[in-house]
Amino acid sequence: MRSVITLLMVAVAVLVQATIVNRLPFDWGSGPDLVLAAVVAVALTTSPAAAAGCGFAAGLAMDVMPPAEHPMGRYALVLCVAAYLVALLRANTGLGGSAGGRISRWSALGVVVAGSLIVGLGYAFIGLVMGDAHVTVGSVAANVGIGTLATTLVAPLVTLPVLGVRWMLTGEDFATIQGPISVGGW
Amino acid sequence: MLSDTTRSRLVLAVLVAVALVLLVVDARPSGDPVTSIARSGGELVFAPVAAGVGLVSGPFVRVHEGFSAGPEAADRIGELEDANAELESELQAARIDEHRAEKLDDMLHLSGLGAYEVVPAQAVTRTTARGYAHTATLDAGTDSGIETDMTVVNGDGLVGRIIEAGPRTATVKLATDVNSSVGARLEESRKIGAITGGSVPGGPEADMTLELFDLEAPIDQGDRVVTLGSHEGAPFVPGVPIGTVDEVEVAPGALSRIARITPAVDFAALDVVGVVVKGPSEDPRDSLLPPKPEPEGDQ
Repeated sequence: MRSVITLLMVAVAVLVQATIVNRLPFDWGSGPDLVLAAVVAVALTTSPAAAAGCGFAAGLAMDVMPPAEHPMGRYALVLCVAAYLVALLRANTGLGGSAGGRISRWSALGVVVAGSLIVGLGYAFIGLVMGDAHVTVGSVAANVGIGTLATTLVAPLVTLPVLGVRWMLTGEDFATIQGPISVGGW
Repeated sequence: MLSDTTRSRLVLAVLVAVALVLLVVDARPSGDPVTSIARSGGELVFAPVAAGVGLVSGPFVRVHEGFSAGPEAADRIGELEDANAELESELQAARIDEHRAEKLDDMLHLSGLGAYEVVPAQAVTRTTARGYAHTATLDAGTDSGIETDMTVVNGDGLVGRIIEAGPRTATVKLATDVNSSVGARLEESRKIGAITGGSVPGGPEADMTLELFDLEAPIDQGDRVVTLGSHEGAPFVPGVPIGTVDEVEVAPGALSRIARITPAVDFAALDVVGVVVKGPSEDPRDSLLPPKPEPEGDQ
């Protein structure tokens, strides 16, 4: 049940990103990344392996959607690794430090900012390795900066609802299963 | 701090490997069946949703335009549609204005060679998720006769070329993309050059930059630039307006002259475009050749 709803929410994020957000004429380059915001929320409430799978699937869906301007797998790779790292750090450190394994809303937004920076830089790095002429210091700085800002602004509308739905669907007994390994944070 | 189970790490390794294989396979210049099937699958979902979004957002776009650009913007959509309808005849004459049309026809020997055939389409995306490439998605594809390496125009001039065509959508690389390079000809002096999207090293900050191969060529602010045309009209058909010269860079010791170009097309407001699916019925290059000598005249 929980996974079906999650799949549905991520799929909606992918479609909205591809057909509505990408349709808006952003003169300044990149717009918000709803897929990243949704994947971060999923990664914060699941195991590292499942997070990596979710990131890979969402990234691949974005790769497959038109416009076909970058090679398939580029976004899937970056999003997969980013989601894995978020889930791994959370599972090991109890990110946010709150009791019961639930991180606060502000920490969730902080994770979105960090994730957006990682994904932006990772995406640019793959472009650099593959010889993409779009990747210059100026364009990367502008796109990562503006993209992170825009993603952070929409995160309260995407990340927090997805987090809320996933918390709601978790049985109270299992709420602490993904929590910190050692009691008291580190 | 970063402890994890072996199984979990194995999952990550497998996913990363799959992504890398996809990257390498899809980055190759020749099309791969696996990735093209995947893209048609994505398009199957994308096309109906994008059409629905277009249907729903139409009134909002009109209201937004009415507010943002004054009362004359309300007629803009109608104007664009009219312009698109007239495009075929306009391209046939490669008309920029009456006087210059004759010169252009004379130079290109295009007159009477037959019309360009244009398929209308609508741009359904303008930005990309990460904002690097300047591409747009069109809501028409191979089902409408669109193939890769076809010229995309609108009522104002050159938009770009098709780089990927699926059954129901096509991806256009806009002329302002850094990787885009278009053969160009100055309308007045007929000098040739190349127009690159963005700025070139040593050139001014610009949407498009013209590099003229002739250092002595007279070039002034306000000169208009048209496409030179490629062999058999792919990827660019000749005679389509690209833009006007905005500023000429005087660089001592440079091998070419660099000029900043103002695009003829407003790329921020891309809407109805046309894809040239058929060039002139004859290769115009043949008509540029001098007539064959007649051996019997020497007798």
